[in-house]
Amino acid sequence: MGFHHLDHYAATASPVTRTAPAARVLGAVGLALAASLLPPGAWAPMAATLALSFALAVAARIPPGVLLLRASIPLAFLVLASVGILFMAPGSEVAALGPLRVTGHGVVLFASAIARGAAAVIAGVVLVSTTPFPELVAALRELRLPRPVTSSLALAYRFLVVLAEEVGRVRRAAEVRNGGRGRVAARRLAVGMAAAAFARSYDRSERVFRAMRVRGYRDTIPGLTYRAVDAASALRVGTLLAVAAALVVAGRA
Amino acid sequence: MPARVVVELEGVSFAYHGGSGVLDGVSFTLHAGERAALLGPNGAGKSTLLHLLVGLEQPSAGSITAAGIPMHPERLVEVRERVGMVFQDPDDQLFLPTLVEDVAFGPLNQGVAPAEARRRAEEQLGLLGLGAMAERAAHHTSGGEKRKAALATALVSRPELLLLDEPTDGLDARGRHAIVRLLGERPEALIVATHDLEVVRAVCTRTLVLDGGRLVADGTTSEVLADTDFLARHGLRVPLE
Repeated sequence: MGFHHLDHYAATASPVTRTAPAARVLGAVGLALAASLLPPGAWAPMAATLALSFALAVAARIPPGVLLLRASIPLAFLVLASVGILFMAPGSEVAALGPLRVTGHGVVLFASAIARGAAAVIAGVVLVSTTPFPELVAALRELRLPRPVTSSLALAYRFLVVLAEEVGRVRRAAEVRNGGRGRVAARRLAVGMAAAAFARSYDRSERVFRAMRVRGYRDTIPGLTYRAVDAASALRVGTLLAVAAALVVAGRA
Repeated sequence: MPARVVVELEGVSFAYHGGSGVLDGVSFTLHAGERAALLGPNGAGKSTLLHLLVGLEQPSAGSITAAGIPMHPERLVEVRERVGMVFQDPDDQLFLPTLVEDVAFGPLNQGVAPAEARRRAEEQLGLLGLGAMAERAAHHTSGGEKRKAALATALVSRPELLLLDEPTDGLDARGRHAIVRLLGERPEALIVATHDLEVVRAVCTRTLVLDGGRLVADGTTSEVLADTDFLARHGLRVPLE
C-alpha cells in the first residue's frame, strides 16, 4: 500500500518547507486562532485571513485541486456542524425551508463560521501537507505538548498504516472468495472486517508493548530532535503572526 | 581460558496462567560468541524461551542467567541493555514514525543524549546498508529492509546476547541470504529460534531441539541435522543438500 503521496509537498522546496516545523505549527495555529477571534460579519478581515491561508498554500506550491481535495472532508464536517445556526439564530426571516425559518442573523453567523473555519482548515492542510509526520510530532514535542499526546500520535501514524494493510488483506481474502457481493453481504463483510481489525490491533498492541519493554521502555517514548527554529523561520512566522494579529485588531475595532 | 557463560538455564519450567506447561525442566548453557539454533515444531516453546531470556515472562520453576546477569525483576533494565531481541514480525518492532527513531529508541531509554543516540542509530543503519533510509517510515520499506531495520534496533545497543525469533520468516532467497550473511558476521552470542534449517546450517554451530516443552537434543548442528529420523520424529525436515 502506498502512502508516499501524503508527503509529496513536504519534499517540494518552498518558503514554507524552508521554515522549521515548529515555526510552521505556530504559524498555522496562530492563523487559525486569529480567524476564530474575528467577530461575525467582519468580512474584510475575514477575507484577508482567508487570502493569507491561500497565499500560504500557493507559497507551498500545493495545486488548488489538491488543496481543495484535502480540505473538502474537514470543510464538509464544518458545514454540517454549522448549518443549524442558519435556523436557530434569532432575527427576521429571510427565507423558509419548509417548517424551518432562515434568519438574516443566522446567515451572517453561518457565513462567518464557514469563512473562519475555512481559513483554519486551509492553514492546517498547508501544515500537514508540507510537514512529514515525524517532523510534525517532533515539532509538537518541541512546543512542549504533553509526551503522552505526542507518543500516541507517533504510534497512531505507524499503526494506522499497519492496520490499513491488515484490513486490506482481510478484504482481499474475502473478495477472492466472492465475499461481500450484494448489500447485505457487503454489510456483513464490513462488520467482520471491523471485528478482525479490532482483534488484530489488540493483538498487535500486546506484541508492540513487548517489543518496547525489551528495549527499555518505562513510561514515555523518548524522541529525537529535528530541525530547530532558526532566525529566518522565526522572522517568517513572526511576520505572519503579526499580520494575523493586525487583522484581528482591525476586525474587532 | 574458557569463554564466559552468557546464558544459563537450570531446570526452567513455565506455564501460562491456568494453562498447561509450555516448558518443562529446560537446562542448558551458552558461552560468549556461541551461535545456537533453537528448533522445534509449532508450540514447542521456542518463542516462550526467548521471552524468558529477556524477562517478558517469569519461569514457574528454575533459574535463568542472561548476559551473565541472574534474572531478577530488579535487574531487568540491566538485562535488557545487554540482551537484544528481534521479534518474528518486524512491524511489532518498528513502531515509531521513522527507522532512525526506532533504532534510537533503545539508546534513548538507556539515557543516551538525543544527538548521540541519533548518531549511533544512523551509524547502525549505515552498517546494515540502510543509511539512506534512516528518515523513512517502516511502511515505505521492503520486507527484507524491515528485517534489517528490526535487527538494527537490537544491535545498536551492542548486546552480548542476540535473540532472534524466525529471522527469515517471509523473506525471499535474496533477503534470506542477506540475513544469513549478517548473522554469520556477528560476534555476539546468538540464539536463533527458527524452522529454517538452511539458516541453521549456515549460521549456527550448535543446535537445541525443543518438543513438548522439553529439551530433546543439544549438540553440534552437523550432528543434530544428520539424524533425519530424529528430526522427523520431532516435526522437522532436514533441507536438501
